[in-house]
Amino acid sequence: MLIFNNIVKNYEEPVLGPINLKIKNNSFVSIIGPSGSGKSTILRLASGLIKESSGLISYEDCVKPKMGFVFQDSTLLPWRTVIDNILLPLELTNKNISKPKDKSLMWLSRVGLDGKENSFPNELSGGQKMRVSIARAMIQGASLLLLDEPFSALDEVTRRKLEDDLLELWKVNNITVLFVTHSVTEAVYLSERVIVMSSSPGTVVEDVVIKRKVNNNFDQTEEFMSQVRYLSGILRQEGEGK
Amino acid sequence: MRKYISFIAPTLTFLFLLILWECLVIYNKTPLYILPAPSDIALSLLLNYNDLLSSAFVTFKITILAFILASSLAISLAILFSQSRFVELSLYPIAVIFQVTPVVAIAPLILIWVGLDNAEFAILILATLVAFFPVLANTNLGIKSVNKNLHELFSLYGASRYQRLVKLQIPFALPFILTGMKTSIGLSLIGAVVAEFVAGSGTSTGLAWRIIEAGNRLDMAKLFAALILLVILGVFLFLLMSFLEKILLKRWHDSSTF
Repeated sequence: MLIFNNIVKNYEEPVLGPINLKIKNNSFVSIIGPSGSGKSTILRLASGLIKESSGLISYEDCVKPKMGFVFQDSTLLPWRTVIDNILLPLELTNKNISKPKDKSLMWLSRVGLDGKENSFPNELSGGQKMRVSIARAMIQGASLLLLDEPFSALDEVTRRKLEDDLLELWKVNNITVLFVTHSVTEAVYLSERVIVMSSSPGTVVEDVVIKRKVNNNFDQTEEFMSQVRYLSGILRQEGEGK
Repeated sequence: MRKYISFIAPTLTFLFLLILWECLVIYNKTPLYILPAPSDIALSLLLNYNDLLSSAFVTFKITILAFILASSLAISLAILFSQSRFVELSLYPIAVIFQVTPVVAIAPLILIWVGLDNAEFAILILATLVAFFPVLANTNLGIKSVNKNLHELFSLYGASRYQRLVKLQIPFALPFILTGMKTSIGLSLIGAVVAEFVAGSGTSTGLAWRIIEAGNRLDMAKLFAALILLVILGVFLFLLMSFLEKILLKRWHDSSTF
């Protein structure tokens, strides 16, 4: 379990907090909120990219989980082939795993990009680049996957396909997913739990467990729509409050 | 046909201008010491083939050496800048001073310091100074332009400074470096020629010296022949850099079109 205990982050002025959150293992949690509410800051704090100004981030079993981070843009290195991009985390951490190439090919296959290993990023579509980015994030055996608006630049069809594939990835690999998005429908569709942030400095204004009686065509149900309406209402109030 | 138009159009224009030039010179009976006809220049090129070619080789040698020296120094310095803000703040203004100081103004100094017997070495230094800055400025810009998210990605995996430099900053800066080198190779040639002009005859016998010599003797046909060789040299060097750029950026960068 990932625990945020009274976390505050200040730059020149306060941007986040205090935040108290518990993210259970193997859960799928989305964070939504107006621009500047500190959603991405939460991910950067969780990943250790930035340090909290006060408070403590801890883990239930005191062991920092292996993390993968997927940025808003795919952050692939354009001079490296797809397979070399996926292998990058292993190179940087000097991890000696057996058959790294086989493992990266396996992840490439899992994200549906068989045969693309020798392509360069500029030969891929936006959706394919994001899939490579997810494969790279998972290559080290991440148990906590942090995603910062990964599908925001994609078209609707590609986005929906990637959302379904991400759900599949989460279920099959027993990982914890912390997902930042601007889209309420995306958050409700994907998550078990949605956290709504207030405008700056961001605090948690609502923590909602998503009710889901059916898994198939969940986004077509009234249950889905009512939860989207409810969260959109809160988000609108927060936006107006700003 | 459309495929070849980019070659045919300039070739035909060039031929037309040559013929026009030839006709005008013949028609106006322009003296040879004012403006030689293209046929006179071609004849001079054939007659002075050995002299001009050996001079072209001297200029080519100095240009390439200056280019390699300038590029190596500039890239090394830019890498040093990326590792230490203090070094950058200390040395960058000095590099700018060298850039804005006209080469003709410092040429006499360099000549005196190096010694008139070593004119070729002085020319090499001057050409290097001229060619140095574009590579430095572009490499510096390229290294600084690395996307913030890419830096964060490397931080996430605990990359060392060396890994960050070798696996991220230098490859990212490569298109910038090559753009700087493309400018720099032309400047190396200009620097080599200008420096030789300023240095005078000395011990150097590059194409600039041939131009001075032909000018003093009012041998305009030979002067033009030397000029043509300079142009050919410049175009060859530019194409060489474009080819290198294409090889290095091949599949991954949009700018790698010939």
